[in-house]
Amino acid sequence: MKQTSLLKRLRVILAILFFVPIILYFVDLANLLPDSLHGLLHLQIVPAILAGILWIIIAQLLLVLVFGRLYCSVICPAGVLQDIINRIYCIGKKKKNGKRRFRYKKPMNLLRYGLLAITTLLAVFGSIELLLLLDPYSNFGRVAANLFRPLVIWVNNLISDVLMKFDNYTLYHVTIETITTPSLIAGAVVLLLFIGMVAWRGRLFCNTLCPVGSLLGLISRYSLLNINFDKNACIQCGKCEKSCKAEAIDMASMQVDNSRCVDCFNCISSCSKNALHYSINPLFKNKEINKDTVRTANVSSSRRSFLSTGITVASTVPLAAAFAEQVNGQKRHRKRAHGEGNEANWSPVTPPGSISLERFKDTCTGCHLCVVQCPTHILKPAGLEYGFDYLLKPHLSYNSSYCNYECTVCSDVCPNHAIKPLTVEQKITTQVGIAHFIKHRCIVEIDGTDCGACSEHCPTQAVKMVPYKGDLRIPHVEPEICIGCGGCESICPARPARAIIIKANEVHLLAEKPKEEEIKEVVVDEFGF
Amino acid sequence: MKRRDFLKTSAVAGAALSLNFDGLQAALSSNTVAVEKAPDLVAVMGGEPAAMLDKALEALGGIGKFVKKGQKVVIKPNIGWDRAPEMAGNTNPELVAALVKQCLGAGAQKVTVFDHTCDNWQKCYETSGISDAVKKAGGIMMPGNDEKYYKEVAIPGGITLKNAKIHESLIDADVWINVPVLKNHGGAKLTCAMKNYMGIVWDRRYFHSNDLQQCIADICTWNKKPVLNIVDAYRIMHKNGPQGKSLSDVAQLKTLIASTNIVATDTAALRFFNQVEKLDISAVGHIGKGEALKLGTSNLDKLTIKRIKI
Repeated sequence: MKQTSLLKRLRVILAILFFVPIILYFVDLANLLPDSLHGLLHLQIVPAILAGILWIIIAQLLLVLVFGRLYCSVICPAGVLQDIINRIYCIGKKKKNGKRRFRYKKPMNLLRYGLLAITTLLAVFGSIELLLLLDPYSNFGRVAANLFRPLVIWVNNLISDVLMKFDNYTLYHVTIETITTPSLIAGAVVLLLFIGMVAWRGRLFCNTLCPVGSLLGLISRYSLLNINFDKNACIQCGKCEKSCKAEAIDMASMQVDNSRCVDCFNCISSCSKNALHYSINPLFKNKEINKDTVRTANVSSSRRSFLSTGITVASTVPLAAAFAEQVNGQKRHRKRAHGEGNEANWSPVTPPGSISLERFKDTCTGCHLCVVQCPTHILKPAGLEYGFDYLLKPHLSYNSSYCNYECTVCSDVCPNHAIKPLTVEQKITTQVGIAHFIKHRCIVEIDGTDCGACSEHCPTQAVKMVPYKGDLRIPHVEPEICIGCGGCESICPARPARAIIIKANEVHLLAEKPKEEEIKEVVVDEFGF
Repeated sequence: MKRRDFLKTSAVAGAALSLNFDGLQAALSSNTVAVEKAPDLVAVMGGEPAAMLDKALEALGGIGKFVKKGQKVVIKPNIGWDRAPEMAGNTNPELVAALVKQCLGAGAQKVTVFDHTCDNWQKCYETSGISDAVKKAGGIMMPGNDEKYYKEVAIPGGITLKNAKIHESLIDADVWINVPVLKNHGGAKLTCAMKNYMGIVWDRRYFHSNDLQQCIADICTWNKKPVLNIVDAYRIMHKNGPQGKSLSDVAQLKTLIASTNIVATDTAALRFFNQVEKLDISAVGHIGKGEALKLGTSNLDKLTIKRIKI
């Protein structure tokens, strides 16, 4: 077999090995897959940087230095998704207009490096919104969680309804609870953007908007292995240029722009003359011979782009700083606006393990993995109700369910460590908020009848029923042992407004453990009737 | 007439007079002599769950009295919480499994088990040990997590509750058996047979916001009543119910109470519970309200009760 098709096949196989488990993990509505699968997502570059997992960052850099941007064709699910879109787009089209439909375009260096610089600067100054909107992994997550997952649920429900007739409950009906209007819009916009950009110009997203693509592009110029022309064998037929999704092959000058090449190896497969090779970068081969080519082709253009990027970056530093400052200022402003007793203005309850609202805002990129993995479906992506800096980030919503007492799933899976891993012991003492009892709304107070639904659902008995009028008992909250799980709020039947509501701790606190009571031997020998 | 003859005759006459007509009728129709009338309520103490169930059913005349061949049976335990069997948050899995086997042994076409859980349903089914036990015994575990599984029915006998969405397995069933666990309860004060009905409905919030105690009594008037109530008091949760915090809330009392009379069942269970933790019957409002709705009697003296100690 030619080196050629072998390489492409290898790339496709590797891509499948990464992509299939990742997408299944996002749509796995019955929790069939092992939780350890989130390990694959820690390999994603933006999460690894935000979580500060050094060995992954170094490994990824080495990978690029050796192989080029293989990451974009194999590990990045957004990249593979775009390849799938391209594949689907090409179905039924003739090769000329279909598969081989691209043309060499000049790199948009100012745009891509400028965006990379602004994104990085903003993130460094503590405003992660742009990164949230551009990070390929998080965007993929939002597409998978908000579009693919409901599709799978819908199919599941159709099948489960049929199976139910035969008393088979292997599949069961699932209600779509975790999708909010903003998250649906976010997923749809990105999917449409991907489709549009792929149909128009292949991997355009990866070479313009994607900060990871731009970052890797800076390094892949100097990777050990890259795609090179055998100038003697090439007949300048142009097949390779037309097959290049990155629009990085300039057939006329027989040059491949390594900063944009995503190592898909389609060009090598397309070449009937075997004139393209994945081999040692001429930069490392023989400096004497290649000096000219390098200088004319790579360096001059890269120096130009370096200069222009440098200028852009320099000019955006104050801009980014000012923007970040403004956003941070808004945060402070919003905080002040939270009035006591007016829960409409209360801050969002952040997941246990997120440590504080500020920290969570600075590290969560809204991939919605926790949202789909939460077994009680209480994590809901926010819109603008908590401000622009909380956009698409999940908050605990106790409308119909609550945070399972000993569950640590969200903190286990978060690839950014925006929700830090917790042990069960830590989880049951992490106070994300405190139950606030509003007596004048309580059924017991208003109707004079028994209720106690809140206390019933309280795992620590922080909400306890205490003697009230006659035989009646009324809720009483012990804030020290309340962990803010929302059991009480989720079940409170008082309407229009509930009588017990969790108020977020903007900085999570340590709750006291409920007092251990002595086990007393109880002996009963008689029936008592 | 000789004195001896006189004595003989009057003895026979006396015996004839004391004959219960129902018993005679039953004896004639079944062509067997009923040795003893089946009690209204059976209480068993001192055995393992399955053994106590056997004794209770035997005393009540056998499972065949309640489940007939080819019937679709539903068993409704309490599986409300993500709690292990030792915590007594849910009905004992051994009891549920033994009952599934009894029903299948009586020729039931299928035995379905479900509950509308409070905690995440999969966790409850699993941690309670009920899912495993039921499947091993040959029963079917059905989900109750989605509104889709519930169908609207009228509750004409209800005072406050006039309609409710009830789990469709019950609507389709020929007979159902109510198998609660005996627990203290923050809201209803006590949870037993009547309170266990709250797991057959979809919208429990309505109950809580419209006089909980009345709604519990109301739902028990639904025209399809359980053929038997079997109270699991192998372990009881005497405080911090219905979830419980620790083992200090639990007492192992190895008892089981069974009756067709739901009000009597709960009354007996409450009296039993009172030996551990004092609780006035008037506080458990649904018992009195159930009696007022003619669901049964709380006057245990009127009933034949069989007490068995193993």
